[in-house]
Amino acid sequence: MGCSSSLPASNAGGIGNINNDNSATDSKNLKLKLVLLGDSGVGKSCIVLRFVRGQFDPTSKVTVGASFLSQVLALEDSTTVKFEIWDTAGQERYAALAPLYYRGAGAAIVVYDITSEESLNKAQYWVKELQKHGSQDMIMALVGNKADLHEKRTVSSQDAQEYADRNNMFFVETSAKTADNINQLFEEIAKRLPRPTPPS
Amino acid sequence: MESPSLAASRVDFYGFLDRMRRPAAAGLFRSIKSFLASLSLDAEEDGARVQAFYAAMEAAFREHPLWANATHQEIDHALEGLEKYVMTKLFDRTFAASPEDAAADAEVSERIGLLQRFVRPQHLDIPKVLHNEASWLLAVKELQKINSFKSPRDKLLCVMSCCQVINNLLLNVSMSNDRTPSGADEFLPILIYITIKANPPHLHSNLKFVQLFRRETKLVSEVEYYLTNLISAKMFIVNVDGRSLSMEENEFQMHMETAKLGTQICAASLSSPQGSATSTRGLQKQTDTQGSRFPFMDSETESLTAAELKQLHGLYRQVVTRYASLSKALRKLFIDEDQLLASVDDDSSTDVKMLARDGIG
Repeated sequence: MGCSSSLPASNAGGIGNINNDNSATDSKNLKLKLVLLGDSGVGKSCIVLRFVRGQFDPTSKVTVGASFLSQVLALEDSTTVKFEIWDTAGQERYAALAPLYYRGAGAAIVVYDITSEESLNKAQYWVKELQKHGSQDMIMALVGNKADLHEKRTVSSQDAQEYADRNNMFFVETSAKTADNINQLFEEIAKRLPRPTPPS
Repeated sequence: MESPSLAASRVDFYGFLDRMRRPAAAGLFRSIKSFLASLSLDAEEDGARVQAFYAAMEAAFREHPLWANATHQEIDHALEGLEKYVMTKLFDRTFAASPEDAAADAEVSERIGLLQRFVRPQHLDIPKVLHNEASWLLAVKELQKINSFKSPRDKLLCVMSCCQVINNLLLNVSMSNDRTPSGADEFLPILIYITIKANPPHLHSNLKFVQLFRRETKLVSEVEYYLTNLISAKMFIVNVDGRSLSMEENEFQMHMETAKLGTQICAASLSSPQGSATSTRGLQKQTDTQGSRFPFMDSETESLTAAELKQLHGLYRQVVTRYASLSKALRKLFIDEDQLLASVDDDSSTDVKMLARDGIG
C-alpha cells in the first residue's frame, strides 16, 4: 500500500458508541462531513490515517475501523472543526453506491495517484458526479497522492492544477508516506468552510 | 463492548418503566397513551410524527419534576426508554406492515438466497488475507440478530456489532501483517459478503424501521456511516448483475437459473409426498401450484388442439433446458443423481427418469 503502516486513531469513539452525543454546532465549533472518493489503491485511507495519527493514543483499547474516522482540528482563529470522514469503496463495481455516502457532505476529497493516469480519469469521473449530484456549496479538493514517488510520475502537477482551476476545486499533491501536505490539505478545507453568522 | 451496553439499556428501560408508574408521571403517561392511539398507518408520515413526539417529550421530561436536576445523561436514558416503549407498542403496526414492504422483504431475501449459492469472496474483491471463516461467522450471527429486537436502538446495535467484528478483523490482519488498513475498499466488500451469507430476515423493513424511528439526534456520525454501509450493501444486492461480480452477463444469468433450480429442488424434497393419483380432480385442486406448473397432465392426447400442442412443445423445451442445467448443477454440487431422484416423490421422479431415458441426460 502507499503509506507506511499506521494504526487508526483512538479518538474516533469506538463503534457501538451509539449514545455518543452530537453537540450542536456553534460558531466556534464547526462540524463537517467529508467524503473521500477515488480509485482503490490511490491511498485514500492512508491520507486520513496520517491526518488523525497525531492523536493516536497507544494505551487505548478501543478499536475502530479505518473507513470512518473523526478528528478535531483547531484553527488559528480559535475555531475548531470536527471532521467526520466517510470513506467510500473505490472499486468500479461499487461506484453506483457513492451517492448514498456523499449526500449531505460539506466537503469532498477526490484522490488520484500521480503515478497513474487511469486514477486521474477516475478522479475526473467523480468530480463530474459531484457536480451533477452533490450539494451546490460542497467544498471540493483534488489531491494527487504518492508525491514521494516522483520518479514514477505520469500525471503532471500543471495539468492537474489546470483541471482543478477549471472545476473550482483546490489542488494539492500529498504524500501519505512522508506526511507532506496532509495537514495543509485539511487546514485549507477548514478555512474554506462557511462560518455560521454568530447570533447578534 | 456491545453486551454490557445492551444490558445497560435493559436496566435503563426498567428504570424508565418504574418511573412511568409513579403517580407523578400520570400526565406524561397519558400523553404517551394518547399518542400511541392517534397514529395513522402510513409509515413515512408516522416516522415524522414519532420523531416530533420524541422531541416534544424531551422538552416535557426536562421540565418535569421527576427529572428535576437530572443530568443530560439521565434525560437521555429516559428518552431511550421512551423510544423503546413507544416502538415496542407500535411495532406490529409499523414494521413491515404494508404489502409493499412485505413484498420488498421477500424479494431481497429470495435474491440473497440465490446469490448465496454462487457468490464467492473473490467476486467482490475480498483479498485472500482477509478470509477468516470464524470472524465472518460471528459477523453473520450479529447481523441476523437484527430481527430479534423490536426497538430501533437495539436493531441498530446489531448492525454496529456486525461492523465492529469486521473492523476488528481488518485491524488484526493489518497489525499482524504490518499492512495498512485500506478503509472502505476492504470494509464494504466484506459487509456485502456477510449480508449475503446472513440473509437477515426482513432486511428491507429492518433498515426502513431504523431510519424512520430511531431518534434522529442519535442517527448521526459513526452510527449513520455504518447504517449507510448496510443500506448500500442492500442496494448492491438488489441491483447486482454480471458486471458487478466480474463475470459475463450470461454466466451470471446461468448461475441465477441454476440457483433457482437448486432452490426448487430443496423446496420439492421438503414438501410432503403426494399420492400417486394426480389425475383425480380433487387432488389437483389441493396441489394448485403443481397443477399450474405442469399443465396438460390430465388432458387426453387426442383432445389437444394445435395451439395447445405448440404450447406443450414450448414447455417440453423448457423442461429439457432446465433438466440439462439441473444435471450440470448437480455435478457441481457433487450430489449423486440417483440418490436425489430417489428422494423426490414417485410421480415426478418417473417423469424426470422418462426424460432422461429419452436421451436428454
